[in-house]
Amino acid sequence: MVRRLLLGAALASALALVALPAFAQGNCTPRVPDSELVKPKTLTLSTNPTLPPMQFVNAQGQLVGMRVELGTEIARRLCLTPEHVRIEFAAMIPGLAARRWDMINTGMFYTEERQKLMFLVRYEEQAISVSVPRGNPKRIGSIADMAGLTVGVEQGGFEFRRTQDIAKELESRGLKPITIRPFDNFAISFQALRVGQLDAAISIDSTGKEYDERGEFTRAINGLFGTPINFGFRSKVLGQAVAQVLTEMKADGSFAALLDRYGVKAFDGPFEVVGPN
Amino acid sequence: MQVWRWDGFFDYLFNAYLLEGAAISVALTAGALVCGLLIGIGIAVLRLSDSRPLRAIAGFYCWIFRGTPLLVQLLIIYTGLPLFGIRFSVWEAALIGLSLNEGAYLSEIVRAGILAVPKGQREAALALGLHRVQVFRLVTWPQALRVMIPPLGNSVNGLLKTTSVVSVISVDELLRRTQILIQERFLVLELFAVAALYYLVLTSLWELVQRRLERRYGRGFGTEAADRR
Repeated sequence: MVRRLLLGAALASALALVALPAFAQGNCTPRVPDSELVKPKTLTLSTNPTLPPMQFVNAQGQLVGMRVELGTEIARRLCLTPEHVRIEFAAMIPGLAARRWDMINTGMFYTEERQKLMFLVRYEEQAISVSVPRGNPKRIGSIADMAGLTVGVEQGGFEFRRTQDIAKELESRGLKPITIRPFDNFAISFQALRVGQLDAAISIDSTGKEYDERGEFTRAINGLFGTPINFGFRSKVLGQAVAQVLTEMKADGSFAALLDRYGVKAFDGPFEVVGPN
Repeated sequence: MQVWRWDGFFDYLFNAYLLEGAAISVALTAGALVCGLLIGIGIAVLRLSDSRPLRAIAGFYCWIFRGTPLLVQLLIIYTGLPLFGIRFSVWEAALIGLSLNEGAYLSEIVRAGILAVPKGQREAALALGLHRVQVFRLVTWPQALRVMIPPLGNSVNGLLKTTSVVSVISVDELLRRTQILIQERFLVLELFAVAALYYLVLTSLWELVQRRLERRYGRGFGTEAADRR
């Protein structure tokens, strides 16, 4: 009897799970025409899931994190089905141009060069942090204290360039420059720090904070080079629709609630599309 | 959005930073080839020895290094061994990882080469009063080398591209430098095309070297004429 009840409950839950999205789709009209999308009635988002707690894959193999939640919520409000594509950052911009996905949702930093390439909507702000072994044995508290250190960072992007800026600044002040070790992702950089191959690891504030809260490393410096984070789009129409959704989320308080949950700072300015003229 | 820009491609074609990356890749290939060949010869000799424990040790080595990904081996050498008090610099870890991995593969090429030399050759040399080491150095090895060169060439070709894996422990070789430069102007396809061209030039140069080696060691076997194309 109990077994039959359990089976019935499981069946009802499964039906509800299948029926709910269909109900949601049936109740609203997509706010973006199919001509602006790679796949009809679907918002295809690219993400590189190597950055807990912003975007990562959990032990069950599911894509989770603040930006995944935000992307899913944006798709829901646009009456589109979200479809996340897991891809290396290097492939994201050519993939966007080649109509592989509609939106880059991987915590891309805002730069003027990027604004010339695609349409952007700024929505959060990130800075970089310097993580050191627990207890901060070398008493690192400022950029000057980093002179002569070996520092790990994810290769390529914004953090890497800012790390190069730190090296240049130290050199210009007559201090010993840092040795930069570029790794594929933060995880390997932090592993190298864990076993003493590095003196410090540079990451975005959220990741530095996450590792600090886990009790693994001390976040010695944070808030360096604060810069907006943006979504990237090929279609201006889609970008405008997403900016509108973000404005609505801000008004109803759900945007702040989501970012607060992850300790992330929202972008101060209005949500609007910026891009090539 | 533009998918391809020729001006970007030509801007990076002779980029000094990339050329230096290519030199690093070549240096790593050469270093890993020399060390890997020495390891490979040692392992092949052990696998062909009469001693069962020595054969087992050599077999175990090949099993481990051919059976696990190079990426994992490099990460263990660089970030795992320090847990046991063994600390290698990033360059040492890269060279050790590549050499140990390559050694396992090359040992099979060496073993095949040695086995290809008819047993009668060694027996005849021993009958003439040569020592076992002399037999190997003067009779077996030169003949085995002739057989080994084509697969060895293949292996070097693969090794040159495999060096890109060492970027996982932060060695900024050719491919890593390509990825770093991509972030400057986001010219992804253009820069990867430049890197592909560099690899193509390097592998073509190696093919010329291999041809020369094949001709040199094929002398006296009637194979050098057939190799001339």
